[in-house]
Amino acid sequence: MAVVEVELEELSRLVGRDLSRDEAIDELFSLGVEFEGEGEDGLQFEVVPDRPDRLSVEGLARSLRYQFGDDRGVRVPNLGESDYTIRVEGVPERPYIVGAVVRDVDLSGGVLDSIIQLQEKLHATLGRRRSKGAIGVHDLTMLKGDEFVYRDVAPEEDTFVPLEIGGEQAREMTPGEVMDEHPVGKEYSRILEGADRVPAIYDDIGMFSFPPVINGKRTEVREDSRDLLIEMTGTDEWTVDKMLNILVYAFADRGATVEEVEVEYDDRRTLKPDLSTESKTVGHERIESMLGVELSAKEVVDYLERSGMDATVEASDDETVYDVTVPPYRTDVMHPLDVVDDIGRAYGFNEMEPRYPDVSTVGGLSDGTRLENAVRKQLVGLGFQDLLNFVLTNDDDCYGAMRRDAPDDAIRVANPYSEDYSVVRSWLLPSLVSVLANNTHREYPQNLAEVGFCAARDDDENTGVREETHVAAVVCGSDAGYEAAKSRLASLVEDFDAALETPATEHPSFIDGRAANVVIDGEEAGVIGEIHPEILAEREILQPVAAFEFEIDALR
Amino acid sequence: MTLTSNERRVLDTLAERDEADAETLAEATGLGRGPVEGALSMLEEKGYVEVEETAETRYALTDEGSEYADDALPERRLHDYLVENDGATMDELRELDAFEIGIGHLRRKGWADVGETVEPNDAPRGDDEKALEALAEGEDADVPEMVVERGLVERVEERTVVAHLTDEGRAAAEKTTATEEKGELTHDDLASGDWKDATFADYNVEADAETTFGGREHILRQMANRVKEVMTSMGFQEMEGPHVDAEFYINDCLFMPQDHPARTHWDKFLLEEPTHIDELPDELVENVEKVHLEGAEGGDGYHSAWERDVARTLNLRGHTTSLSMRYLAQDVEPPARYFSVDKVYRNDTLDPTHLLEFFQIEGWVMARDLSVRDLMGTFVEFYSHFGIEDIEFKPHYNPYTEPSFEIFGEHPETGELIEIGNSGMFRREVLEPHGIDEDVEVMAWGLALERLLMLIYGFEDIRDVHGTLCDLELLREVPVLWE
Repeated sequence: MAVVEVELEELSRLVGRDLSRDEAIDELFSLGVEFEGEGEDGLQFEVVPDRPDRLSVEGLARSLRYQFGDDRGVRVPNLGESDYTIRVEGVPERPYIVGAVVRDVDLSGGVLDSIIQLQEKLHATLGRRRSKGAIGVHDLTMLKGDEFVYRDVAPEEDTFVPLEIGGEQAREMTPGEVMDEHPVGKEYSRILEGADRVPAIYDDIGMFSFPPVINGKRTEVREDSRDLLIEMTGTDEWTVDKMLNILVYAFADRGATVEEVEVEYDDRRTLKPDLSTESKTVGHERIESMLGVELSAKEVVDYLERSGMDATVEASDDETVYDVTVPPYRTDVMHPLDVVDDIGRAYGFNEMEPRYPDVSTVGGLSDGTRLENAVRKQLVGLGFQDLLNFVLTNDDDCYGAMRRDAPDDAIRVANPYSEDYSVVRSWLLPSLVSVLANNTHREYPQNLAEVGFCAARDDDENTGVREETHVAAVVCGSDAGYEAAKSRLASLVEDFDAALETPATEHPSFIDGRAANVVIDGEEAGVIGEIHPEILAEREILQPVAAFEFEIDALR
Repeated sequence: MTLTSNERRVLDTLAERDEADAETLAEATGLGRGPVEGALSMLEEKGYVEVEETAETRYALTDEGSEYADDALPERRLHDYLVENDGATMDELRELDAFEIGIGHLRRKGWADVGETVEPNDAPRGDDEKALEALAEGEDADVPEMVVERGLVERVEERTVVAHLTDEGRAAAEKTTATEEKGELTHDDLASGDWKDATFADYNVEADAETTFGGREHILRQMANRVKEVMTSMGFQEMEGPHVDAEFYINDCLFMPQDHPARTHWDKFLLEEPTHIDELPDELVENVEKVHLEGAEGGDGYHSAWERDVARTLNLRGHTTSLSMRYLAQDVEPPARYFSVDKVYRNDTLDPTHLLEFFQIEGWVMARDLSVRDLMGTFVEFYSHFGIEDIEFKPHYNPYTEPSFEIFGEHPETGELIEIGNSGMFRREVLEPHGIDEDVEVMAWGLALERLLMLIYGFEDIRDVHGTLCDLELLREVPVLWE
């Protein structure tokens, strides 16, 4: 989730009210914007990702003005005309570009930083770390001519001077060199990885921007820049349109004027920014049934206007229907029910009285839970401390420390958090032995059991994974021998009216001659034996341990 | 004078050595310490023994104390450093292991003056250091109170009961006749009927007995079962399903766009093998793809690509909402209530309050014309079973629910407002692919079981409970959950 840093004074100025720190925090909280703490240059707020239009002090101020009722309904900035065009000469990997001219902007007093912050937050969210959409802002006065060209070039075909960032001196570089050597270039080269040609923007002088990586130094924006060209390139036109709209609203809220730029593709021409509104139709009954409150049509329109939307009421014999206009900076209104959410927020969800639904259903536990609980109850009766261990473990604990090799069907995590959690366990006993090893300072006997999840690869399953519940137990203490384990296992199996046999077997984790297969109702289901002393000595468990483990379904 | 059999056994044993403590007597007679002390006090009344009760204070080094006995006190180590390094600064000291614990003591003891540089003063060897050394070598020591308060030395109080035989006692011991006053009631007593004529010796019923550690259910499991009990009593049916599942059920059915930041690599656990599910239901896949690209009826889709292969990718599930999706895919008819309390996996943070795998409580209700007020009422009811009242609903955003709420409640102990769940009404884009009628709503919520447990028990590090680092003593002694 994105965190935005806001100066209180600036926020107050843009809202047009004198806000105390606490007021700002409380009012924003009721919008769903949570105070995170003090930052270096102001208060930090967490903005949920459905409202990228709030990723700036301008956007938060706009939402607050609606909240206070100082603004109502949809406001769309006026767009002037300009002579500027961007001609697109086929950039297949990044086909879309939009643009706008912004004039008479005052970037002094922290405004430039605020705009840069918005730009970065938009890159991180809607722009999907610049891969879906990337913004370039340029000083218009440094550009020559009124027709810019967006095309692709071979990485070593042309040169320009990129912005100095991170100690990199300004120097003439090719896009290829930027990707290999420039700190920003290295960070974003992944987007263009493997491409034969890369995007570039030209004016009459030459290349001035290398989207989505870095702008040229020639057109760098400074605090004293007054007229700007914004360009935005991406893989999805709707996304770059919305990113541009959010930026344009921020400039317009600061009193700048915005002019259109014509974008010329081979097969069409279009004027940007596209500040057209969208509309959604929603019925009155749907609103009332979702919110569970009765509202008049007038109230519905009022709440919508306080959310920055417009609505016209279309009453027919059957039902009242609202035609709702959604402002061009909103990206989250996809379905009519999203409009209902805005009505609910404006009404105040905490004003609504909870009620227990008058819906009758029958509850119950799954078969799996009932069986597990029955087994666990018997184990506890037999004196075992029930345990709950992690499913994620590692080769060493799960196999090596148990003196055995990992089976071929072991499941490994491709991207583990750490090597300690890189294997999905296929059996439980290693977890129980680890608990013994970590509790040698606690009183003995230590009789432990777990009923838990295990998994192995299995091509017969749709997911390719066989998921099982195992039952495992260890007895540990001076009297812990094979018989102690077997008597408890026998008791448990008999409780489920099943027959137990324990034919001798060999297993590297157990002492030779003291290991057996657990056979329940004629089916091999697990293993029982005395844990090999090498395992115990290695883990400094200085008491004998006898153990068993089997698959729970054998008891069904 | 008559003696019980316990008194006789104690007296006879004592006669062999004239003087003994209760512990020795208990061992030699095979009686517990309680019966022995009971017998001794009776013998004392009869004038056969003199009993002396003493409480002795013993000192023992704690782990921290023995570490310092070996390596010197941290303030001593800091002082040594200052003596060896002229003009050392605070920042320099901060690099040393001993700094955090040592600096306060160093200043308190006046062993250094802190200015731009830290200058050492005289630091004579203190009583605390002498005491640590003596205890480490197993010698007696004058232990200053401050060492105990600092947690370097533990004070152990040991109660000793020593009995001496008196002359009368010796005479009585030499007589062989004891009355039939009974110690242990035996099988023979019962079988023969001798118990009818016997009188039973008094035990010291206030003496401590050894603690029994019987089997018990894991505390987190108790919590899970408590939640399951509440859910079933509210009419919820339990769901079951795979831990390793396709992203289709984990994300795509939930209308999470395939380029959503939460779906990128870092949050989820992928498997080396297998990597993809074999089969997905074709019709549902088509429907889901359609809402992603075009939206539900009356709405718009995402401006993101959608690929079946991405949907087939297997993960360890990041939430059990994947189960809800699998159940919704099975033509569930309203009204219905379903829940699960099961494991989920997040490749995120591992610290005292976050685990890589934890239990998620997931629940949903499907009925015609449900409203957000019904959602609120359901949660108010659920949380009230755990003593959490005054619930607040903060509007929130989830890709798969609208409206969505974070649920806040008052901490039952501290009264502070804390997040206790995430909830909402499933979007039409989630329901429509399953062919669910437009007037049917599904409200859902989720929260971590561990969070509820920590809230109720005030555990500070969840790893003491869940996982192989668990502390058996804690598991054995934590009070059972019943409220």
